[in-house]
Amino acid sequence: MKKALYFFIVLVLLFSCKKEVVETTIPHQTSPYTISTPLGFPTMQIPDNNPMTVEGVTLGKKLFHDKILSADGTQSCASCHFQAAGFSDTNRFSEGIDGSFGDRNASTIVNAGWNTSNFWDGRATTLEDQAFGPVVNPIEMNNSWQNVENTLNANTTYKDLFKKTFNIDDIDSTHVVMAIAQFERTLISANSKYDKYLRNEIQLSPSELNGLVIFNTEKGDCFHCHSTDMFIDNLFHNNGLDAEPFTDLGLAKVTGIDSDNGKFKTPTLRNIEFSAPYMHDGRFSTLEQVVEHYNSGGKYSTTVDPLMKKLGVGLQLTEQEKQDLIAFLKTLSDTEFLNNPDFTP
Amino acid sequence: MKRIIIALLGISLVFTSCKKGKVEISGCTDSSALNFDPLATIDDSSCIYPVNTSLTINFSQTVDGVDLTTDTMIYTNSAGEDYSIQTLKYLISDITLHKDDSTSILLKEVHFVDIRNASTLSVDFGELQDGNYTSISFTMGLDTAKNISNRYVNEDFHATMFWPEPNGGGYHYMKLEGAYTNDSTFYNTHTGGTMGGDYSFNNNSSILLNVNNDMGDVIIDINMEINNWYQTPNEIAFSTYGMGIMMNMQKQMELKQNGMTDIFSVSVNQ
Repeated sequence: MKKALYFFIVLVLLFSCKKEVVETTIPHQTSPYTISTPLGFPTMQIPDNNPMTVEGVTLGKKLFHDKILSADGTQSCASCHFQAAGFSDTNRFSEGIDGSFGDRNASTIVNAGWNTSNFWDGRATTLEDQAFGPVVNPIEMNNSWQNVENTLNANTTYKDLFKKTFNIDDIDSTHVVMAIAQFERTLISANSKYDKYLRNEIQLSPSELNGLVIFNTEKGDCFHCHSTDMFIDNLFHNNGLDAEPFTDLGLAKVTGIDSDNGKFKTPTLRNIEFSAPYMHDGRFSTLEQVVEHYNSGGKYSTTVDPLMKKLGVGLQLTEQEKQDLIAFLKTLSDTEFLNNPDFTP
Repeated sequence: MKRIIIALLGISLVFTSCKKGKVEISGCTDSSALNFDPLATIDDSSCIYPVNTSLTINFSQTVDGVDLTTDTMIYTNSAGEDYSIQTLKYLISDITLHKDDSTSILLKEVHFVDIRNASTLSVDFGELQDGNYTSISFTMGLDTAKNISNRYVNEDFHATMFWPEPNGGGYHYMKLEGAYTNDSTFYNTHTGGTMGGDYSFNNNSSILLNVNNDMGDVIIDINMEINNWYQTPNEIAFSTYGMGIMMNMQKQMELKQNGMTDIFSVSVNQ
């Protein structure tokens, strides 16, 4: 009896100041999508306001592959980010909807959920921020977000999917990029020959093993930037591609700091065999050319990284050592990832 | 009777809970103050707070006793080479305060210092308990028990301090980089567990720090004198580095010995 009385008092207190009654609705339900962390990878940092759901990933995949996002309906994200190329563009520069070309090679989307910044110059922090860019870039999809929202809101399939995924009645740009980012976080590549070697499932060939040692010692000195099993350091470097003045200031375009001139984000090397061409401007079409750049030492500029220890001299690898290094790089190919049907529409 | 009281209490709460105008009582309204008055509704600035001793540890860097200036070739090592400093990142582990009653407090397992990131140069450890502290000890780098690949996979320094398996695995203890002799020739003083060896070293500095209730904040400064890496007892010239020193046990040992000699100095400010 006493308990009932207490309960009554609490109830009275709870409702005593209330101005409106909460509507009773069927709760919105989604299924959580769990990212499993591969061996040697950190825990992925997912924004609190965009938790991964099965519905979100599915919707993001649909949007990623849908040309509806571009002004004239001719381009999707996938038009410049080919799965078979590690979600990068095999063309040096991507062609926008009006036939115009950019000046940087489209980045891969491989384990991008672990990036702490995106784009070659790092101008977007999160994958959500990143996805805002290409849709309205005049030399890419050349659309306006207002127009994207109108188009999607006029589409009953998308209306239903966004309702189901985010419980929203009006589709807005924020939720479009949230879905795309969720899909991109699932693009995880961690089942290459090298991963199998790390898990003691297979052995590498003598040439691949020699390449691994060259890569991971100061002989090749690749690992200082392409660090850990992620093969990135989430930092920016000037790797001695050009002398000054730079045609592309890279990171300094974003920070405005002279000491950032000519620095670009370290790209992952996973699936590098298939993500040609290479460097921020796609200047190298083969891995042989890439290795030769480091082997001959690169050019001096005021911001060149001190890790480029012997400018103009380089690594001085033998032909065999260069081949071994490339053999190792090819062990980072993950055909399961490149052909994963979960990523295709 | 009890029921009636409870009911009355309930009803009175209902009335007061929505009240707009009521009698104001002035006093100290901050619950963290010593003289917090739970009945006070207006703060009259009378709060009195306990005097806690909070501890901050600063990590500073000097060359020849002067605060570090990056990116300009203004320094000369013992071997006579001019050099600049562009990168300096290092790990300090097992930072521990010791008391005169032979107890100790482990402040932090690993701290990452990056001279380009101001937030790494100072650590606020919060309130320091009373006691007579007689020394502070820490390790430069990571000892064998800690220097294990992927042990710190979720720490910010994991990627940038990564030390690959073919060199022994684990993490760089330090990355000290810059140009020497001319702007386009670089040195990389990278220390770590070369070939699985342990080249970390402990520093134990005596301090005079008697913490009691009414003292103010304490700052302990741990300074790295960079030039000392290269002179005593081993003179080290960058021109002898070859392709790098990560596989060079001799160089790692020399740097360790130099480090143990006089690389760190500790001062207490209170």
